[in-house]
Amino acid sequence: MDHHQPAPEGTPLYVHLPFCVHLCPYCDFFSVDGKGQDVDGFLDTLLLEAEARAPKAPRTVFFGGGTPTYLSEPQLQRLLLGLDELTGFRASAEEVTVECNPESLTLPKAQLMRSLGVDRLSIGVQSLDPETLAFFERPHGPEQALAAVEATRSAGFERFSIDLIHGSPTEELATTERNLLQLLELRPQHVSAYGLTYEPGTPLHARLEREEFVPQDEDQELANLDSVHRLLEDAGLRGYEVSNYSSIGQECLHNVNYWHNGPYVGIGPSAASHAQGTRSGNPRSIPRWRAAKQADPMAAAFEEHLDPRARLGETWWLGLRLAEGVDPEVARTTAGWVAAEDPAVGEAEALVAEGLLELLAGRYRLTPRARPLADHVGRQFLV
Amino acid sequence: MDPAHIRNFSIIAHIDHGKSTLADRMLECTGSVQKRDMTDRVLDDMELEKERGITIKARAVTIFHEKDGERYMLNLIDTPGHVDFNYEVEKSLQACEGAILLVDASQGVEAQTVANAYLAIEANLEIVPVLNKVDLAHSRPDEIAEEIENSIGVDAADAKRVSAKTGQGVPELLDQIITQIPPPKGDPADPLRALIIDAVYDEYRGIIVYLRIVDGTVNERDTIYMMGTEKVFEAVELGRFSPKMLRTKVLHAGEVGYFISNIKSLGDVRVGDTVVLHKGPKVEMLPGYAPPMHMVYADFYPTASGDFEGLREALTTLTLSDSSLAFEPVTSDALGFGFRCGFLGLLHMEIVQQRLEREHDMDMIQTAPTVTYRVRYADGTEQEIHSPGTLPDPDKFEELLEPIARISMMVPTEFVGVVMQMAVEARGEYVRTEYLSQSRVQLFFDVPLAELIYDFYDKLKSGTKGYGTLNYDVTGYRADKLVKLRILVNGKEVDALSSIIHQDVADRRGRNIIQRLRKDIPRHQFEVPLQAAIGGRIIARETIRAMRKDVTAKCYGGDITRKRKLLEKQKKGKRRMRSIGNVDIPQKAFLSVLGEGEKKK
Ligand SMILES: Nc1nc2c(ncn2[C@@H]2O[C@H](COP(=O)(O)OP(=O)(O)OP(=O)(O)O)[C@@H](O)[C@H]2O)c(=O)[nH]1
Ligand code: SF4
Ligand SMILES: [Mg+2]
Repeated sequence: MDHHQPAPEGTPLYVHLPFCVHLCPYCDFFSVDGKGQDVDGFLDTLLLEAEARAPKAPRTVFFGGGTPTYLSEPQLQRLLLGLDELTGFRASAEEVTVECNPESLTLPKAQLMRSLGVDRLSIGVQSLDPETLAFFERPHGPEQALAAVEATRSAGFERFSIDLIHGSPTEELATTERNLLQLLELRPQHVSAYGLTYEPGTPLHARLEREEFVPQDEDQELANLDSVHRLLEDAGLRGYEVSNYSSIGQECLHNVNYWHNGPYVGIGPSAASHAQGTRSGNPRSIPRWRAAKQADPMAAAFEEHLDPRARLGETWWLGLRLAEGVDPEVARTTAGWVAAEDPAVGEAEALVAEGLLELLAGRYRLTPRARPLADHVGRQFLV
Repeated sequence: MDPAHIRNFSIIAHIDHGKSTLADRMLECTGSVQKRDMTDRVLDDMELEKERGITIKARAVTIFHEKDGERYMLNLIDTPGHVDFNYEVEKSLQACEGAILLVDASQGVEAQTVANAYLAIEANLEIVPVLNKVDLAHSRPDEIAEEIENSIGVDAADAKRVSAKTGQGVPELLDQIITQIPPPKGDPADPLRALIIDAVYDEYRGIIVYLRIVDGTVNERDTIYMMGTEKVFEAVELGRFSPKMLRTKVLHAGEVGYFISNIKSLGDVRVGDTVVLHKGPKVEMLPGYAPPMHMVYADFYPTASGDFEGLREALTTLTLSDSSLAFEPVTSDALGFGFRCGFLGLLHMEIVQQRLEREHDMDMIQTAPTVTYRVRYADGTEQEIHSPGTLPDPDKFEELLEPIARISMMVPTEFVGVVMQMAVEARGEYVRTEYLSQSRVQLFFDVPLAELIYDFYDKLKSGTKGYGTLNYDVTGYRADKLVKLRILVNGKEVDALSSIIHQDVADRRGRNIIQRLRKDIPRHQFEVPLQAAIGGRIIARETIRAMRKDVTAKCYGGDITRKRKLLEKQKKGKRRMRSIGNVDIPQKAFLSVLGEGEKKK
């Protein structure tokens, strides 16, 4: 299956909504300032693409961005109803997540989403430290973040996740810890805790290059990782992936599928899709995406076909991000690797010898020491 | 064609004075290349030549020009101007009776103008001075003509003034070539004698051999004999360059062309060899070419993913079209089996390395270039040292000698003070000054060749705002207080990183090298100590800290392709390194022994 034929029933669906109130300087998603954008026209094209490409009865749906809650209530309603009409996701999906930011998550919006089949919200709190929020140029303050969580609860969401970013040059370890403890008082079942990354091409990266601020050093970053991990685990949130923590059973199913190297269909600008080693993606520009989809909704801006060896490497690299680790047998099946010899196991054994992996109940996984070295470990498996 | 209607000449000059552009105009105004097929510097057809805008390899081409109702065949050779390629100039001159000495009338006589002019004088060629770029408003042809007379002693009062850009004066120059440059002496009726001036390897047709016919005539189907390699071949195809290969079936005395004979074995052809008819009358072998003088040496080792035999084959193929390159197998404790290569200079080295990578897809590690040292033992015997790693212990020999170059620098008078200072800092000894004109002088110094390589040339360029030019000849050896600087990585001495330096600067250079290595060697899972030592004394140390954080925070569906490619790229980078002990050392670390300036190139 690739862009040219519809995905099988049940395939997870990702929907990209790129609009934001203000662009964060560290953001390297495809996002645009929503001011003056033709959101309704955007939805026309999105539904057109969904009609051609969205799988029927998806197991999970994830609305990401950008900021999906940037959409007005009528727009959200049109999107959710329209998509349900095309795919029947409300009846089929075990998990329907919408990403939202505190400044645009109001109670009525939360209630609307809840009533239209959304059962999980992922809230971009990022920090409760005013100075850090200002450094991140976030349009919300700490109170608004807490209010957003409150609205989520009131609207009847049992599942929600809080995103936070640590490692900002504005924070000391104590600030980060204080923040996190305060957030944990809200008893979230799921937290995504990301170390701040300076991605080339972002304004924050440019400022770093110009030495406008002093970034945290590696020792500080490691201390953050360590402390955040400890505090979250102490609160009963298990680190199930490099940056993701949840109580048991509250993992994000949609995302876990990525790390299992599973299939998915993405619609909207920049959205990526995967099926059996074919990875493809939509144009990273609204006008280009709209023009392409109007001409041929199945069109892809890029497409790559990976052979079983490459897929095997990819499966291990992604799978080792998960605490559950990788079962070599399952990895071979996922990758379509049939040869008698499994090169990945050799690599894994070498890493066990180095103390970076451990073998437990037939599965290889990162040792505690290797958690901050997941890329180093993953690289060994890639070709 | 009868020799009286043939003229053979090279165009020689300092770098960038317009040789290749002049060749363009000559090709154009004789109708050899159609205007629509014309590109800038058509004869610079190598990828690296186009990229860098310089000529690297001499190129021969045959054009026809009519004068007074008669048709003449002109074999012109466009030569490179950079010092590192002057072996190409030397070779080209042997196939000619005359040389156009082109001088940029806005720049004046420069170091390689003089050096190349002397090569032509030594080869007994008729020299035709020509002033180029007269279309430029700031050109000063009168003054420059005087500079030519002062520096080379060639009368330049009547030198043609041309513009290789506009073509102004070029037809008249072609006429002058015919009148002034003598025709070749050979007789088409004599027994065949031809000089192999170049050769290239063609995958389909075998080696294409470039010839200058000195005496006699060669026809297709003739069986020929190469006197040096003692090989016999049939001339399957004969032709000349127009500039594309054009089959002519015959070549006569005085002409320049090629022959193809489906020769696949690289050892069968040697540039400089003499070609005669098989079983023809006995003739004397042509003198051929003097062996090139290698100024610097560096070792090439295959990387983790490269292979030794493949590297040997690539080097062999390259020596065919670049006879100034020489190589021999070596072994290093740290790097295993590789090849020690001799080069005419640093640019030559860089070009060879890039050609190996691009034309032959080689992955390799190159050690820092070094000059040839000599050790003198107590019994008076001497031994050459081509690689610092092989220097015996100091108590085993009496003296360590290094090559000294006589450098001549042409600089505008305002920079004399700066240049003097630089030369002294480079351990130079003043020789003399000559005045070229009111505004420019020629300074002579004796400087250790190693200092020239280290960063002197870059300093000269930046110190004179680009106006200073330099030429050098190795004139002898001199003993000095030289020591071997050893580098230890993770406690293990890496022979390929050691260098021989002057005692007085050892501490400073040692610190520099260690600091640069610290930046160039990637972090590992463990700490990597770096040390510089002279004998048993550690003079500098640094530690590369262990890599403790290497993780992507976010990796979701939309990130997978890009993140995977990034990790793959990083992994590939690692494959291009060499591991010594268990430390991966990248190519650039091996060059950290060089000065900052050199490393940037
Ligand atoms: N204005 C002007 N520019 C010229 C003239 N002749 C050459 N140039 C320019 O000078 C530069 C060097 O010309 P080349 O023909 O590459 O010089 P070269 O002597 O072949 O250089 P090397 O082969 O590297 O030694 C180019 O940018 C030319 O366009 C001329 O008559 N007038
Ligand atoms: S809100 Fe999210 S998507 Fe929008 S700019 Fe900020 S980080 Fe990017
Ligand atoms: Mg040229």
